[in-house]
Amino acid sequence: LRCQLSVPQRALQASAVLKRVSDEQHKEPLASSSQQQFDSHPTDQQPKEEPQGPRPSYTGQGGQESEDYESEEQLQHRILTAALEFVPEHGWTAEAIAEGAKTLGLSAASAGMFQNDGSELILHFVSQCNTKLSELLEQEQKQVQLGEAEKKPLDQFLRDAVEARLRMLIPYIEKWPQALSILLLPHNIPASLNLLTSMIDDIWHYAGDQSTDFNWYTRRAVLTGVYNTTELVMMQDSSPDFEDTWRFLENRVADAMNMGNTANQVQSTGEALVQGLMGAAVTVSNAETRR
Amino acid sequence: LPAAGVSLRLCSTGGAPGGINKPVIERIIRVDHAGEYGANRIYAGQMAVLGRSSVGPVIQQMWNQEKDHLKKFNDLMVAYRVRPTVLLPFWNVAGFVLGAGTALLGRKGAMACTVAVEESISDHYNSQIRTLVEEDPEKYKELLQVF
Repeated sequence: LRCQLSVPQRALQASAVLKRVSDEQHKEPLASSSQQQFDSHPTDQQPKEEPQGPRPSYTGQGGQESEDYESEEQLQHRILTAALEFVPEHGWTAEAIAEGAKTLGLSAASAGMFQNDGSELILHFVSQCNTKLSELLEQEQKQVQLGEAEKKPLDQFLRDAVEARLRMLIPYIEKWPQALSILLLPHNIPASLNLLTSMIDDIWHYAGDQSTDFNWYTRRAVLTGVYNTTELVMMQDSSPDFEDTWRFLENRVADAMNMGNTANQVQSTGEALVQGLMGAAVTVSNAETRR
Repeated sequence: LPAAGVSLRLCSTGGAPGGINKPVIERIIRVDHAGEYGANRIYAGQMAVLGRSSVGPVIQQMWNQEKDHLKKFNDLMVAYRVRPTVLLPFWNVAGFVLGAGTALLGRKGAMACTVAVEESISDHYNSQIRTLVEEDPEKYKELLQVF
């Protein structure tokens, strides 16, 4: 394996590298699809590269300019996805990325495209999980609309959504505390916060939240709290299939539901008090005017 | 060598449908919603003071119109998944105080406040319409009809 370019930054260089390495390694004819440049790795779960391929999660606009050309961004996403397989062994590091690049038939030096602390790998993973969660929730919503499934009560819905999302961490759970600490680094906080808030917003959207007042914020803040604390509990959980975590989650969601009820009770008590005071004021003023 | 210029664009969810300019739409809806909410609170304040006077029914009628507008923006907000402004509690109080304050100046004061508010709202909406039309009238046809 010739390790040629040190840091392939330009897209042209990157695709040149791809073509050269693939020509070397794969003597057999390339796959029939003209866009596909590599033999798909058996465990590579990426969809085939097509200009109108279903990759809404990665680029907001059409990523490819010509049929053969894979944008640099898509290439990076493919490398990172391949790298995830090696995370349990190597952690969220450049080594994992290098291994991932190698399974795609690229030079290990292409890991140089990414930052050294593994931030991009982790952010990519989180983004991928969030997309999977959205798709799952969308599926469930369709099923309810088609009448194939019952609409879940709110607490059940929130519990299931958070559980589904946290279960995606299970294969990487050993190395997840490391990932969390990297996500909290100052230069990563904007991106990780963005991913977190949009995930929570998605869950509430599919839960049917239509609030247009300050509740919008309180609901999201509460759910974020539930999610984060449950995630931390999961890190320390050694029970079979994380049943302690799910029980913790159930209790937190129940607390959150109660919070809403308590808020309502406080408000109605407050209103009753105000009416009482107004009544007293009117009575007093009447008494005064009559005197 | 860290890849300085290369940063992955990660958009996890909520892709923009059909190429509309989401940030602009979000801002427009958020601001307008806040404005309608504030207007509602202004009328509430005016009613609290002048509700039992002869001009009460007039104010009530105008208030009902505003309630309609607010409802419309609530619907838009849900449809476009826009978050409400975080200053809502502030507008809640400020609007009420403004309405009550001008009403205490008498009915002329209340009407003057209403006229001023409506004028500035219509200027504001006109410039928003201009923004949307400049970009692409077709894409925003639905939204423009609301205005």
